[in-house]
Amino acid sequence: MNAHTPSDRAPILAVHNISKQFGGIRAVNNVSFEVRKGEILGLIGPNGSGKSTLFNCILGQLKPTTGHCEINGKSTDGVRPADLSLMGVGRTFQQLSVFPKMTVLDNVILAGQEHEGTMLSRLFGKPDAGLTGKAEQLIEFFRLTPYRDTEAGSLSYGQQKLVDAAMAFMAGPGIVLLDEPAGGVNLTMLANLKERLQTYNREHGTTFVVIEHNMEFVMSLCTRIIVLAQGEIIAEGSPEEIRSNQMVIDAYLGG
Amino acid sequence: MAELLQIIISGLAAGSIYALAAVGFTLLWQASQTINFAQGEFVMLPAFFVLVGLGFGLPLWAAILLGLGASLLILGVAFKKLIVEPMLPHGTLPLVIATIALGLLMKESVKELYGATAQPFPAIFPQTVYNVFGASVSVQDICNLVVSMLAIGGLQLFLSRTRTGRCMQASAQNPAVAEILGVDVKRMVMYTFLINAALATIASVLISPIYLAKFSNGETLGLVAFIAAIVGGFNQIRGALVGGLLIGVIDNLSAVYISAEYRSAMPMILLIAIILLRPQGLLGTKEGRTV
Repeated sequence: MNAHTPSDRAPILAVHNISKQFGGIRAVNNVSFEVRKGEILGLIGPNGSGKSTLFNCILGQLKPTTGHCEINGKSTDGVRPADLSLMGVGRTFQQLSVFPKMTVLDNVILAGQEHEGTMLSRLFGKPDAGLTGKAEQLIEFFRLTPYRDTEAGSLSYGQQKLVDAAMAFMAGPGIVLLDEPAGGVNLTMLANLKERLQTYNREHGTTFVVIEHNMEFVMSLCTRIIVLAQGEIIAEGSPEEIRSNQMVIDAYLGG
Repeated sequence: MAELLQIIISGLAAGSIYALAAVGFTLLWQASQTINFAQGEFVMLPAFFVLVGLGFGLPLWAAILLGLGASLLILGVAFKKLIVEPMLPHGTLPLVIATIALGLLMKESVKELYGATAQPFPAIFPQTVYNVFGASVSVQDICNLVVSMLAIGGLQLFLSRTRTGRCMQASAQNPAVAEILGVDVKRMVMYTFLINAALATIASVLISPIYLAKFSNGETLGLVAFIAAIVGGFNQIRGALVGGLLIGVIDNLSAVYISAEYRSAMPMILLIAIILLRPQGLLGTKEGRTV
């Protein structure tokens, strides 16, 4: 069996009947889906379709009104964001999430160090928690080696997005959730990011869930796409199927 | 020339103590948006804890340890839990006012409990004065300078070279993301308050043998620490260090070469000049904030 293709085993992420109500507005309505190991799943939808709300429910930052999520069979109910990271869930952010006055290397090490060691080793152990090698590999993987010792805040927006991605992989997570990775990134950098994510997926079998409204980026990156509109799933399938789905075209073009 | 050397050395010695207070000031600001206008009283108070210990017949080193323990507990833990945590959700300004009130409370309490007169405080270092190239250089000044520099240098190393230090920096720069990465942000902020209390204790123990322990010592110290932090660049430890040393030296120089009467105006003049000419401070970086 090839470990780097979506397997038929238990899903790595399972979303069960999630709804989220804000006052009288139902932002997410009874959404269920599963993601299997090695998949690159795209979650798309026009503005206000509920994808960010759903994403925050999955990450435990919003408590769903009904329904729940499981990651590797464990419920994420009441799990703190920090614990989610310890469970092997990496994420990137819509807004930039680097630590601006720390070097790129320190940023990437930090993203992994809290998974290692005990209270004592935190105080007296190796300052880099033995992670410099792994961090350097990821920095090289995302082609950031020339900026290894540069303060992250002085890099371009696109480069900071790459640092953000390298940080998300540092914990060696089985699943990485990317929140609008294409937002504000120029085309060259975007092609670079896409190619790197696909390579990582191929080499390590890491699962991705990508929230995005850049259709072209999602279509060329993802193996499966779920389309949300007004808080509900209106379509699900391969990029080709989604491209020709009339409901999707209507939702996006306001038809 | 000899006189100038003498003034500069004693200015650096005083300045390094201001720097201890200023560094604590910037750390609290970075970690929890706390502008602590009681910082001067934070430096005034530990000396009295030490005096209480001495009053119980403890040897000086044990009294200093007791003072450090009491400071960590009161100026670190209790300050954070009882004042900063309840006030911070209401915004920076209410917290600033709360720290001004706290400063007054500490000052008046010491006056009530210990009296208004200056208390002699035992010297930690020898009072010997040596003649170096014609200048009188006191061992106490040199030791104060060395201890302060070691404390600040050690802190800088701790922040940049240890895992916990990296977590503290991350918590200050982007707390939401640090938390998501597994950093215990609340604990890191608590460490910052403890470090500030420890710096204040060191400053207190160094400065009290010179100025004696007095309830009103915090007035000038707090102001000078605040100005030093702004002059150096509010968001930098190095800046607070440079700001503190600079004010110490300028203060001494102006007392001798300009006028002793205008001495206390000099930090203010420096502050105004910096705000007009370089508002981000000497070493500071511009900081954007969205509102």
